[in-house]
Amino acid sequence: MSAEGPKGLRWFDCNARIGPWSNPQPEQFTDIDGLLAAWDRVGIEAGLVHHTWAWEWSPPQGNAKLLDEIAGHERLRPCFVALPPTTREIDPPREFAATVRSMGGAVRIFPNMHNWRVSEWCAGALFDALSEQGVPLLVDVGEIDWEGIAGVLARHPGMPLIVLGFYYRCDRFAYPLLERYPDFYLESNTYGVFEGIEMVCARFGAERLIFSSALPELEAGGPMALVTYADIADEDKRKIAGGTMRRLLGEVG
Amino acid sequence: MSMSLQDYALTGTPVDDAYIVDAHAHMGPYFNFMVGDDGSAAAMVRMMDRLGIDVSILSPHIALTCDWLEGNRHAAQAAEEFPGRIVPFVVVNPHASRAAIDAEIAHWHDTTGIVAFKLHASLHKTDTMHEGYTAAYEYADAHALPILSHSWSGSGGPMKVIETLAERYPKIEFVNAHSSSGWPVIDASCELAEKFDRVHLDLTGSRLVYGGLERMVERVGTERILWGTDDPFIDPRPGLGRMLCAQVPDEDKRKMLGLNAKRLYRL
Repeated sequence: MSAEGPKGLRWFDCNARIGPWSNPQPEQFTDIDGLLAAWDRVGIEAGLVHHTWAWEWSPPQGNAKLLDEIAGHERLRPCFVALPPTTREIDPPREFAATVRSMGGAVRIFPNMHNWRVSEWCAGALFDALSEQGVPLLVDVGEIDWEGIAGVLARHPGMPLIVLGFYYRCDRFAYPLLERYPDFYLESNTYGVFEGIEMVCARFGAERLIFSSALPELEAGGPMALVTYADIADEDKRKIAGGTMRRLLGEVG
Repeated sequence: MSMSLQDYALTGTPVDDAYIVDAHAHMGPYFNFMVGDDGSAAAMVRMMDRLGIDVSILSPHIALTCDWLEGNRHAAQAAEEFPGRIVPFVVVNPHASRAAIDAEIAHWHDTTGIVAFKLHASLHKTDTMHEGYTAAYEYADAHALPILSHSWSGSGGPMKVIETLAERYPKIEFVNAHSSSGWPVIDASCELAEKFDRVHLDLTGSRLVYGGLERMVERVGTERILWGTDDPFIDPRPGLGRMLCAQVPDEDKRKMLGLNAKRLYRL
């Protein structure tokens, strides 16, 4: 290989998944070996993973299963699935948030699929606790509406909110929030606005975009090319590729 | 040691050892969302240079919504400004009169010639069996041209529509857009291509499921798969990265990236 490309990209995947699910295709993998092989093919170093049990079956059981499965795998960081606290299906918010932080992990929510709301009356205590610990919260744009995103950002400063599945039709919603809330981050994976990467970097800073593969659902090469071919400084590419996510998870250096 | 095509993607290097045709591009701004640099021809060519795309075959957004004639003029101007880099699709709005459509086709025939037609029945709020497309079908059949359609919509679904059109127009090459947008679409598109030799599958889309391209190659081979991106409706970089990093041999990628389009569109 003769071209070197951007210097020092250390790819960190903020959105990957392990475990079986309801309708896998023969081409898709369900286990850690499959994920690591897919990462290795393109040079992804590490990442956050959640377990399908927590998504399609039981968040507490899935979170426990996740910890069992990733034990000993230093490249895999836990992404716990949370629920609102009052039903007591997960640990009390402060205990839960402290555990996540101590493991260098993050939290993902599926409010539509799991039938709850991000409103204060339902989940305020959970977000308060995540905010106190600075734990990143990830949510797919299909699981929440823009009013909900704006409300969470307004009421819980200090909790990095990473919207997944952000795509080319979302800018008119997202720009006002990027302008107003420094804790608002966007997954770059499916952000297909023409020259959108350059525009977000120029106006809001590269640290607002976070790389993911969305494996085993989507391909990794596409979102990687979006970063490598971007007309931005190598330092900005390093932030998107993994630098910002590692910083949010508390990694030093 | 030479670079693999995947190496180009992972290093952000313009691809210089494959002939690349974006066989499904657009141009200009769009009502529904922001497009950087208003999706101008100059911005598109700048992006093409950055990636190593040799040619883009395009239909301006305005042609697919409110003003097909203005859009066709924009495409002609862009092709004139960037000869060899931008190639126009001719767009037909089926709600126009037969006389207006005949006049537009004759204008193109008499000036630059027609490489292919682009139909977007969905944005023109109809389906591909609309009577207003007849002039385009007849011209394409008479000249053995390809037609790229957003979807082959109509009563009975794409299988029935293609069956009807293929029987009626034995020389048209049918390009099925967005053939890789999710597993059900992939399977349905492959069924179309398996049944009809004159169906070609276009990869344009904002997402590609993991392993989806590999399934398409397994089912229909590489000769009738065309790479396209929707640029600048969608930024072309993810689409290029997906193809360059696909788990198929580089020689097959080269066919899909441009050699197939070069043959089909006679570039």
